[in-house]
Amino acid sequence: MNTVIIDGLSFTLPLFIMAIGGIYSERSGITNLALEGLQGFGAFVGALVAVVLAGHFSTNSQIPYYMAMLFAVLGGMAYASIHALLCIKFKANQVISGVVINILAMALTSFLTKQVNKTVFGAASDKFVLGVSVRWTIPILSDIPVLGAVFTNIYPFEIMIVVIAIVAWYLLYQTKYGLYLRACGDNPHAVDAAGIDVAKIRFIAVLMSGALSGIAGISFAYSISANFSSSIYVGYGYLAIAALIFGNWKIFPTLGACLLFGFARSGGYRIVQILQMPSSYSDLVMILPYALTLLLLIFFSKHNQAPRALGEIYDKGKR
Amino acid sequence: MKTKSNGLKRFFVNCFGNEKYQSITIPLFAILISLIVGAVIITLLGKNALSAYQNLLQGSGLLPKPSYAGYKSMLTDFTSFLNAWTPMLFASLAVAVALRAGLFNIGVSGQMLTAGFFANVLVGYSEMPSVIAKPLVLIVGIIAGACVGGLIGYLKYRFNINEVVSSIMINYIAQYVFSFFINTYFVDPVSRQSVSVSTGSRLTLMDTLVGDLKMDIPLAVVLAIITAFFIKFLIDKTTLGYELKAAGASPTAAEYAGIHVGKNMVLTMVISGGLAGLAGVTYYLGYFGSIQPKVLVSTGFDAIAVSLLGNSNPIGILFSSFLITIISKGSTYMSSAAGIQAEIASVITGILLLFSACGAYMKQKIKLLEYDITAEKSVLQKQEKGEEQ
Repeated sequence: MNTVIIDGLSFTLPLFIMAIGGIYSERSGITNLALEGLQGFGAFVGALVAVVLAGHFSTNSQIPYYMAMLFAVLGGMAYASIHALLCIKFKANQVISGVVINILAMALTSFLTKQVNKTVFGAASDKFVLGVSVRWTIPILSDIPVLGAVFTNIYPFEIMIVVIAIVAWYLLYQTKYGLYLRACGDNPHAVDAAGIDVAKIRFIAVLMSGALSGIAGISFAYSISANFSSSIYVGYGYLAIAALIFGNWKIFPTLGACLLFGFARSGGYRIVQILQMPSSYSDLVMILPYALTLLLLIFFSKHNQAPRALGEIYDKGKR
Repeated sequence: MKTKSNGLKRFFVNCFGNEKYQSITIPLFAILISLIVGAVIITLLGKNALSAYQNLLQGSGLLPKPSYAGYKSMLTDFTSFLNAWTPMLFASLAVAVALRAGLFNIGVSGQMLTAGFFANVLVGYSEMPSVIAKPLVLIVGIIAGACVGGLIGYLKYRFNINEVVSSIMINYIAQYVFSFFINTYFVDPVSRQSVSVSTGSRLTLMDTLVGDLKMDIPLAVVLAIITAFFIKFLIDKTTLGYELKAAGASPTAAEYAGIHVGKNMVLTMVISGGLAGLAGVTYYLGYFGSIQPKVLVSTGFDAIAVSLLGNSNPIGILFSSFLITIISKGSTYMSSAAGIQAEIASVITGILLLFSACGAYMKQKIKLLEYDITAEKSVLQKQEKGEEQ
């Protein structure tokens, strides 16, 4: 039971922060299918920095870890600016742009990973091996039965994500910027009439989604495989999108959806382990989150209310 | 100064020609830019970009290589290029049909895998004579692909589920479920892939001795080209095609005109899925003879680039799929001949996608420039008139 909670949370939280990124972008009116590519590219930049720095610090040092986090955020933002440019400046179809960004991210990062390994480290490898992250156990709280698992063996990124999620919630619902952002998604003309630059608000929102996806990407890289390779692209970005659709573009219901995905996944693995089934059965467990997503979407998509101007190219002349 | 920039503008606009030619010139411009960007990357790596591009053509059998192994020549390279081109053409047509109806079928890879798996299991492992087996493979492929495509369309029509999300979920489900079955029942312990299909059911005649050459003859390539023209006919000349395009251009307007948009949506996805199924069988039972578990082929995603580049026009796609296949097929030879990572091919394709996505913007920009030029012209003419008086 404990491992289910521990593994479930370490999967849920990155997914959640990525979904919040998606919420920012979509509430501002920009469809963001690019989350997958954003998290991958962010993770690539973070992992690259970690690998380069690792030689300069002792093996137990956690500085590369935090630097990786920081640079994953920057990398995600930089890469997200392409999506923002395509959607806002070049008026491309937002769905197509998102998918294009994902395909390019996959191609670029796997090419660059090989190339950097070859030229900088002189090794033929298609992955960056990351150090092992420390894991914390909070002394007294972890002794609580069942719930104590929440405070056991937590990755530093989990705490970071919780803090950032709270800040993101505050920003979206309690500040003027958040109000403008949400208005951009529903009625950009009203925002424009109030003298506020729609393009700028949306641009910042897409950059935010890049930053948050970057955190998610590097967290997945550290927690799931302890290295960066093209195996980072297994559709978690799309899972995050499904979570936010299921959560009706609101932050708290989205957390619920992410928890469901996380525990379905870790619970499934645990069942395979307990029943001592051969490893090929874990393939069947892997489909749980995806199948669950489809099922949930079947039941909830109809009643959902997407932001009204979502996916529409903002055209000042059109009323 | 002003007239100079005007001349530049006019040159730029003239390059693209009028609206009729822009559907050709804008993709050409995108290709040119991405080839230049690719060349810059290759040059930065310290390699000769021109010879690298030459290698791409050599690897595809379009230029002679410096030396050939026994039984091989430029012709055998070209037939194996055609072998790779066939599934790409089918897959791109699948994407294009959906795009025309305003749907984005990103699940082509999953539909290909489904079709390939069922054709493998139902026909590929049986001992049927090839006259029966080969058509049967095609039929099974079409049905399997159409079922998956239809499901995606139905989910969108009935439950309002975004087709991109549902098809990606189905991609992953297909990938893991079939990998489970292959690993449990059909695995070849040596190659770690599914057991190879019988030669009778294979759509490509591999290593066939023709004269003194051993070549791979892709039988389905003819079918693929015919299909392209058939789809062109279907879209341009039939009621179905008209309704499909109308639903894609504006669903509400189509609904007012009495077109059943939901039914069309499902039907479009059935056709698109069927084409993807053909791509699947020509890939898994033609180009390859087995299925690698846990891997979705990139063909389904590259097909999006091909389709965008070809303006979702079947004839345009004949050309654009040819080009993209040159890049992806030739990259293997390029990486061995020039020592450049083969992944550069997908980077170039990705950049190409990026620029193709901006096609609508380019069109608009050219129009604006044209207005600018005519406006400036009339101002100049007025000034001249004023001076004369």
